[in-house]
Amino acid sequence: MPDQATDFLKDYQVFAQQSWDTWMRYLQQQPGQANPMGLGMGFAAMPQDDMLSRSLASLKAYGNWLQQAAGAGLGQPSPWQQPVAMQSFLAGFTQPFAQTVAGIDSASAFGLEHQWQAWLQAMQRAGMAAGMPNSQLAAFGITREFQLDQQALQAAMQEYAQINARYQGLLQQVNAQGVAKLQELLAKHSEPGKQVESLKALYDLWIDAMEEAYAEMALSQEFKEVFGALVNAQMQVRKLQQQQTEQMCRELGIPTRSEVDSLGKRVQQLRREWKARGQGESAADSSVVDALQGEIAALKRELAASKAAKVSSIERPASSENGKTPSRRTKATRSAAGKRK
Amino acid sequence: MQNPLHLDPQQAFNEVATFQRKLAAGLQNLRGLGEQEYANTPREAVYNEDKLTVWHMKGSNKPTARVPIVIVYALVNTVWMTDLQEDRSLVRNLLEQGEDVYLIDWGYPDGADRWLTLDDYLNGYLDRAVDAVRKRHGLDAINLLGICQGGTFSLCYTAMHPEKVKNLVTMVTPVDFRTPDNMLSHWVQSMDVDLFVDTLGNVPAELMNWVYLMLKPLRLNQQKYVSMVEILDNPAELKNFLRMERWIFDSPDQAGEAFREFIKAFFQQNKLIKGDLQIGRQPVDLGMVTQPVLNIYATQDHLVPPDASRALQRHVGTTDYTEIAFKGGHIGIYVSGRAQREVAPSIHQWLRQRGA
Repeated sequence: MPDQATDFLKDYQVFAQQSWDTWMRYLQQQPGQANPMGLGMGFAAMPQDDMLSRSLASLKAYGNWLQQAAGAGLGQPSPWQQPVAMQSFLAGFTQPFAQTVAGIDSASAFGLEHQWQAWLQAMQRAGMAAGMPNSQLAAFGITREFQLDQQALQAAMQEYAQINARYQGLLQQVNAQGVAKLQELLAKHSEPGKQVESLKALYDLWIDAMEEAYAEMALSQEFKEVFGALVNAQMQVRKLQQQQTEQMCRELGIPTRSEVDSLGKRVQQLRREWKARGQGESAADSSVVDALQGEIAALKRELAASKAAKVSSIERPASSENGKTPSRRTKATRSAAGKRK
Repeated sequence: MQNPLHLDPQQAFNEVATFQRKLAAGLQNLRGLGEQEYANTPREAVYNEDKLTVWHMKGSNKPTARVPIVIVYALVNTVWMTDLQEDRSLVRNLLEQGEDVYLIDWGYPDGADRWLTLDDYLNGYLDRAVDAVRKRHGLDAINLLGICQGGTFSLCYTAMHPEKVKNLVTMVTPVDFRTPDNMLSHWVQSMDVDLFVDTLGNVPAELMNWVYLMLKPLRLNQQKYVSMVEILDNPAELKNFLRMERWIFDSPDQAGEAFREFIKAFFQQNKLIKGDLQIGRQPVDLGMVTQPVLNIYATQDHLVPPDASRALQRHVGTTDYTEIAFKGGHIGIYVSGRAQREVAPSIHQWLRQRGA
C-alpha cells in the first residue's frame, strides 16, 4: 500500500516547481512586449526578469510556504498527540518569515546590498576602488586622503553589517515567537467543528501568529534601538559613498550634488524673501489705500455735517412747522444740495 | 483533544492545484487590464503654484452649501484616495450631499523642492490656496477637511490663521505622536534625522513605501497577493485591486527639509501637544483652535492609532468638539462600503448643523 503522505509531498513538490517554472517562462517569453526597445533579449531581459521576480516574490513565497507546510509533516498520521512531533512540525515554519522580510529589504530602496554592489562596480570601472585598504594601516603618501576615505567607508560598512546582523537576529526571534503563537492558535482549533480543514486556513493562522509576534518585537525597546542604529549606519555608508562620488565629479569638472543643493537652498531663500516682500508691499499698499479711504470718508462726513448744519439753520423754522423728523429732512436736504451741485 | 489540523492529503493537493490553476488562468486577465483610472470626478484647476494645484470638484448638481470645504491631504501618497473610484469616492459622496468641494493636490516634489520647509507648505502654499478659495467665494473663512498628516497641517494652519477657517474636520489625524502603540513613531525615535535628510535629500517614495509595508510585512507583502489570486477571474474586483495598488505605490517623494522638521518636531519631540511648536516664526497653539471641530478616527488604524487622534479633545481650544469613531482602518475609512454610507453624510450633517 503506498504511503499517502509521502506521495502527496512528492507530487506536490514536483507540481509546485513545474508550475512556477512554467509561469515564469510564460511571463518572460512575450516577444515585442518584453522588448519594446528592440534590443537583444540577452541584453534587455535581465532587468525585467529581476523586476518580475521581485513582483511575484510574494506568490513564490506562498508556494514555498506550502512546500514547507507539506515538508513539515502535513498528512502524517496524528503527530498532535505528541508534543515532540508537534514541535517538529511547527519548527518547519521558521524560515518563511525571515525569507519574506529579507526579500522586501533587498527589493526596496532601503536595501543597501544591491546598491553597495552597484556602487563598488561603478567605482571600480572608474578606477576609484581597486580594493579596500587595510583599515588598520596608517595612511601615508600621495594617496593618503584617498586611503583615509576608503578606510572610513570600510569601517562604516562593517558597522552596518554588524548592526544588520543584530536586526536579522531580532527577525529570527520573531520566527520563534511566531511559531509559539501559532501553536497557541492551533490549540484553540482542537475542538470538533473548529478544526483547520484547508491549507489556506492554516496559512492565514500562521500569518496572524507571525504578525502578532512581529508587532510585539517591533514595539520593543531593543527593536527601536537596533532599527534606528541600522538606519543611521546605512546613511553613514551612503554619505561616505556620496563624498567619494563628489570627489570624482570635482576631478572631472562635473557639478556635484552639494553644489546643486547649495544653489537650490539659495533659490528657495530668495523665493521666500521675494514672496514676503510682495506680501509686505501688498500689505503696505492696502494700508495706504485704507488710510486714504478713511481720510476721504472723514472729509465727506465733515463736509456733509457742515452743509447739513448750514441748511438746518436756514430751514429750522420750516421744519418746526411741518413736524418732519430732523433726520429725514436732513437727508432730503443733503440730496437736494447734492443735485444743486 | 483532537488534532487541530483536519487536512486530507488529497484535498490539500487539490487545493494547491486549484491555486496554481487560478494563478495561471488569471494571468491572462492581468495582462489585458493595464493601468486603472481613478474616479476622475469632473474638476477644474482654480489655483496653481509650483507643483501645487487646487481643484474645484464638480458634482452633477449645484452645491447647496454656502461655505466650501477644502480637502487638505498628506504629503505622503496622493489626494486621489478621496476620489479613488466612482462608487468609492469621498469627494463624490460629499458633492452628492450638496457640499462644494476643493482638493489640494501637492504634486510630486523633485530636487527643486528639496528646501521647502513646513513654513513654506503651511504659511505659503496652503495659505495661498485657502486665500484663492476665499476670494472665489467672497468669504472671510472656509471649511477645512484635513486627512492624516493633512489633518495635522490643518490643525496647525487653523491655529495660525484662525480667521480664515470657519469649521475644521480632521480625519485619521495624528495629534499625540508618542502613544505606545504608534509603530512608526517608535521606529524613528532613535533615528538621526539630520544625517538621514542630509544624506538622502528628498526622501524617496520607495523608501516611504518600504516603511509602510514593514508595519505588517506578511499581510501587506504576501497574504494580500495570495488573496489576489482568488479574484483573478473576477475582472471587476481585479480592477479595484489594481487601482488600489496604483494608489499605494504611486507616491511622491518627500521634500527633505519639511520631512526633517516633521519628524523632529512632531514624531520625536511631540511638540504639537506640548505647546512649544513653531512653524516658521509663528507659534502653533492648539488652544487657538476655537472653531467647531469634527474629529473622525478609525478604530483599526495601524498607521494612526485611535489614541493618537483622540488626544485632540484634550488640547484643542474649542468648546464645540465632536468625535466619530469609524469601524475600520486607515484606508477603509475612504473606500469601504461602510465608509460610503457613513462618512460623507456625517460630515455634511455636522456642517449643516453649524450653518455652513
